[in-house]
Amino acid sequence: MELLITNGIVYDPINQISGEKVDILVKDGKIVSGVKNPKTIDAGGRIVMPGGVDMHTHIAGGKMNVGRMLRPEDGRRCIESRKKLTRACTGYSVPNTFATGYRYAKMGYTTTFEPAMPPLLARHTHEEFRDIPIVDKGGIPLLDNHWLIMEYVKSGDMDKLTAFIAWMMNATKGYGIKIVNAGGGEAWGWGKNVRNLDDIVPNFDITPAEIIHGLAEANERLNLPHSIHIHCNNLGHPGNYDTTLATFDLVKDVTSHNRQVMHATHIQYHSYGGSTWADMHSKADAIASYVNSHDHVTVDPGQVMFGDTTTMTADGPMEYELHMMSKRKWTNKDVELETGSGIIPIFYSRKVSVNSIQWAIGLELALLIKSPWKTAITTDHPNGAPFTRYPEIISLLMSKKRREEVLKGVHSAINKRAIISSIDRELNWADIAIMTRASPAKILGLDKHGKGHLGIGADADIAIYDISPEEDDPRKIQSALSHAKYTIKGGEIVVKDGEIVAVPEGRTYWVNPEFDGEATKAMLEDLAVKFKEYYSVSLANYPVQDAYVPHPVEIKTRCKNAS
Amino acid sequence: MFRIRSKSKPGVKMLVKLTPKKAFNIPVEAEVIKPGNFAGKGKSEIESIIVWQGNKEVMLGSIFDVEVEGVDDKDKKKIKILIEGDASRIKRIGERMTSGEIIINGSVDMHCGALMSGGKIIINGDADAWAGREMRGGEIVVEGNASNYLGAGYWGAEKGMRGGIIRVKGSAGNYVGEHMRGGEIIIGGSVGLLPGLNMSGGKIVIEGDAVLPGGEMKSGMLVVKGKVLEMLPSFRFEGKEVLDSIELKKFTGDLARGGSGTLYINSIPEV
Amino acid sequence: MIITDVLCPFCGDLCDDIIVEVEGNKIIEVKEACETGVSKMMGHERIAAPMIRENGKLRETTYEEAITKAAEILTNSLRPLMYGWGSTTCEADKKGIELAEEIGAIIDNTTSVCHAPSVLAIQNVGLPSCTLGQIKNRADLIIYWGSNQAEAHPRHMSKYTSFTKGFFTKEGRKGKHVIVFDVRKTTTAEVADDFVQIIPGDDYRVLSALRVILAGAGDVVPSSVGGVPKEKLIEIVDRMKSSRFGVLFFGMGLTQSRGKPYNVANAISLVRELNAHTKFAVMPMRGHFNVTGFNQVCAWSTGFAFAVDFARGKPWYNPGETSTVDVLNRGECDSALIVASDPAAHFPRKSVEHLAKIPLIQIDPCPNLTTELADIVLPAAIAGIEVEGTAYRMDGVPLRLRKLIEPVHLSDEEILSRILSKVREIRGD
Repeated sequence: MELLITNGIVYDPINQISGEKVDILVKDGKIVSGVKNPKTIDAGGRIVMPGGVDMHTHIAGGKMNVGRMLRPEDGRRCIESRKKLTRACTGYSVPNTFATGYRYAKMGYTTTFEPAMPPLLARHTHEEFRDIPIVDKGGIPLLDNHWLIMEYVKSGDMDKLTAFIAWMMNATKGYGIKIVNAGGGEAWGWGKNVRNLDDIVPNFDITPAEIIHGLAEANERLNLPHSIHIHCNNLGHPGNYDTTLATFDLVKDVTSHNRQVMHATHIQYHSYGGSTWADMHSKADAIASYVNSHDHVTVDPGQVMFGDTTTMTADGPMEYELHMMSKRKWTNKDVELETGSGIIPIFYSRKVSVNSIQWAIGLELALLIKSPWKTAITTDHPNGAPFTRYPEIISLLMSKKRREEVLKGVHSAINKRAIISSIDRELNWADIAIMTRASPAKILGLDKHGKGHLGIGADADIAIYDISPEEDDPRKIQSALSHAKYTIKGGEIVVKDGEIVAVPEGRTYWVNPEFDGEATKAMLEDLAVKFKEYYSVSLANYPVQDAYVPHPVEIKTRCKNAS
Repeated sequence: MFRIRSKSKPGVKMLVKLTPKKAFNIPVEAEVIKPGNFAGKGKSEIESIIVWQGNKEVMLGSIFDVEVEGVDDKDKKKIKILIEGDASRIKRIGERMTSGEIIINGSVDMHCGALMSGGKIIINGDADAWAGREMRGGEIVVEGNASNYLGAGYWGAEKGMRGGIIRVKGSAGNYVGEHMRGGEIIIGGSVGLLPGLNMSGGKIVIEGDAVLPGGEMKSGMLVVKGKVLEMLPSFRFEGKEVLDSIELKKFTGDLARGGSGTLYINSIPEV
Repeated sequence: MIITDVLCPFCGDLCDDIIVEVEGNKIIEVKEACETGVSKMMGHERIAAPMIRENGKLRETTYEEAITKAAEILTNSLRPLMYGWGSTTCEADKKGIELAEEIGAIIDNTTSVCHAPSVLAIQNVGLPSCTLGQIKNRADLIIYWGSNQAEAHPRHMSKYTSFTKGFFTKEGRKGKHVIVFDVRKTTTAEVADDFVQIIPGDDYRVLSALRVILAGAGDVVPSSVGGVPKEKLIEIVDRMKSSRFGVLFFGMGLTQSRGKPYNVANAISLVRELNAHTKFAVMPMRGHFNVTGFNQVCAWSTGFAFAVDFARGKPWYNPGETSTVDVLNRGECDSALIVASDPAAHFPRKSVEHLAKIPLIQIDPCPNLTTELADIVLPAAIAGIEVEGTAYRMDGVPLRLRKLIEPVHLSDEEILSRILSKVREIRGD
């Protein structure tokens, strides 16, 4: 099918198009330079952007499903009946898979990455991917607490480390390297934690700093499209901004081909000053200042929005701390040799000082980081809020007036312990196009694979919003971004006037690093021992079979200086 | 035809009488039966309101003979619904009701008065499970017996009943007031297992007997005037107190969860 | 032909180290599996062909006719019930859920009569847990409560708990302490270090007593609770607190005794509170090999783990109302489709009586008591032997079942898929 989108005001930052009237031509799912007999969409002066890219959203797999099973009281919210084309939808913070796909598409998003795939449970993540309609997906396996990773980093065996990561990408059909509270997952196997980068992981005689640095180096040797993707140690503790800055500094000697060497996620939770909850305050300025003056780090905020939601992370000890504070129902799931997770409901209240400051910090980071190319819009769905709150967040970033309205109703601690009220910056549509499309695609390394832009040869993933660039009413902005006029996915119109009109299956991106050195053989021998002695499944049954990835997009990489 | 009798509340301006046409097994889900929903409607409009029976939509008029007396009234407080007959296969009567009155001369199926926040429901018969679930206000009177999960919460939710009052003349089943946070439940007869389970506010008074009262109780007040047939081992005896002119033993708990609820009981085995 | 690393389609342990020898499309030997697993894999009496009941008797027919009749029954039902799913693949579960949505049915699985209380308890308090390998490598205190896995999960103790060695448990059995709580001395209790006998129905009280002792208010506990002396309870709490890594497994002895979900919630709460002192995990001992898988698929596709009522298009989840036995006991449903399960053998009499009254469709590889009540019988290939697909172990680890021999019959998934197509055809979609 061919499409011609005409009269749109196009924001395509990767191709330096910023609010210009440009025709977009589509053929066979791609952006092309010529069409013969297209269906024409008259965008009528409305905003046109590449399809949205969410680089960090917990949409699928063990954790999210545990969240659904834990919270039928959330499941009964936002219920929609089955319709001719669409399956029944349930849930607000723990939506079912179908709702997840439809709701993203309705917001003009077409690519979503699950950033915490436990390798042993990767098959589950991929099973759910298959049931998330429309959007393209990728899953980033959790590797930092894996026994073999820690052993190889400890012994300094870079070749085996690299070989094992390459094997893991294949085995999990994974996209990159996720680090969560490095070393803390293993410590949590004994109910303990690591707090600082130099703490020793019990029984493994290794520190978080060593794990992070080792994985950053291996990541670059493997030439992975994405950098290491890190949830820093010390999440959610007053005074943790020190750890965060030290984590950034750890990898500044690592060189990459042409992107960041570390993506630090949901950085809002890592930007706290003070020493207790009573004096906890925003250090967004210190974090932003570091990011502004260094090019090896990118971040996403993990914005908190007021209301009820569900927290879920591989940071097991942090979830337990949350449980001890709130005493709300708590699920934990440690995964043998690899990782763990915790899940607990949370209510972010505007009447609570800490929650108000958290809300402020997310916005502060997005506003104080000068270059939108160094960040992206996230809520760490569903941790800070469900992804369906993005349009509201964007309206806050674009309107100081709207921020001031909210500020009137929040806890007064925000005046002294946050910076938000002193920030005048209002993001424009070009900034938003970068932070919701171009930048996350670039950070993930997907821009070279047709995502995040509308250049010739790119995927025809396009959003048209029922708003023109001059309209600055924040409520109009929110409403237009919530219900795309059109969402086009792979050249097919999937949303029209905010309603789903087609439900294609999305594709799954994974990375296949080529690494054939001698080290692979030796690594496989080590791995066989791990399976024989310690895993509860056999090695032959571990790798995710092709049947679970029916629409794969395999990205091959070549390793640098493989032995 | 019938008339609004002088016995009716003086404020009643509109009376809707629903007489079940025949008995059936597949339950009807009729949360539409509530005063606010009938305001401003005439007989034929009420007859054509849609309810669900299994997976099919049917009109209220195919389930009930509908009679309407009195002038249309936008003031929902002055509307009374009379269900004249057995409604033991009609679920959700009065769900989310805010005002007015419903009288059922028969028994009702599950979820009667669930989530109601105002008005009054009188059941001249038995109430099936989850009557008054997550109730916020108003009053439910059950002249017969109530089943399990009276005034309880929904699965996974931390707040059950938060306000209003439920009176049961007969007995009630298991888990009365589960996750209760406010309001009052009064049971004339006995109850089953674990009344006041997970309760964190409000008051439950049981005139008859109970089994294992107060499990996971955090706060609130639970009174068992009859016998406690089995007692939990996690409550602390605080002494005797006179309540409603009866001398009762006062306990606090559930200490298994560090709770500080108050449990008054009359007699227990071997303590 | 020898096939290694085969998954055993029997219990929730989902062993994946079975060796099977196949000759001429027949399994001739099964190694490593337990007796029940071997027996299941070696084969049973099968249903020969699709059947339809006429004048009280089942007669053989074609899939086409049986599927058409099944689709007609389901399409014309006001309140169809779809139950079973314990012993089939997730792929079949998915198709079943889609069919339920299409016809406005209640869909429920065997969880409803075994571990539903566990699901409800988790919704109340959560579940601090882990995968089985974590227990193998770390646990030094193992507790079984109301679970006789020596019989229900025969390899559980040798693979994951008492009799295995792991990274931090190199001493094996010697370095572990095993406690069994039950109402009678089971075979599992025979090989435990400690057996604690509880008066039937008193699990809740015993758990409350353990928790109140743990909370430091043990002075309120009477001298004996549920038949267990207070000193014993104190000793157990001390042992729990001083373990390095403890785990509590519970079975139907806890989930199905008085107080059902609240027993389980009480047990989970005990474990949760123990985490203030040491590392402790809790895990339901799930029965059928893929009963967990249905809960997973149902949760991600409907938002709820079981007992989902699609009558009104919008899913409504309310166990006690939308769960199979409750629906049957109230005589609510007007047809039923049973997949890979035998309710006639296991349900209360009142439920079975209603099943006998309504049009009943069965999909199963083997004849059973439900076949005798069924009006339409659709024979299926055996998941994990004749059909590959996904199954979830009791701890949520997903694995891929193998196909070992060629099937004669259609798979559950294919049968359901054809019923769904036929339903759509009848409805003119």
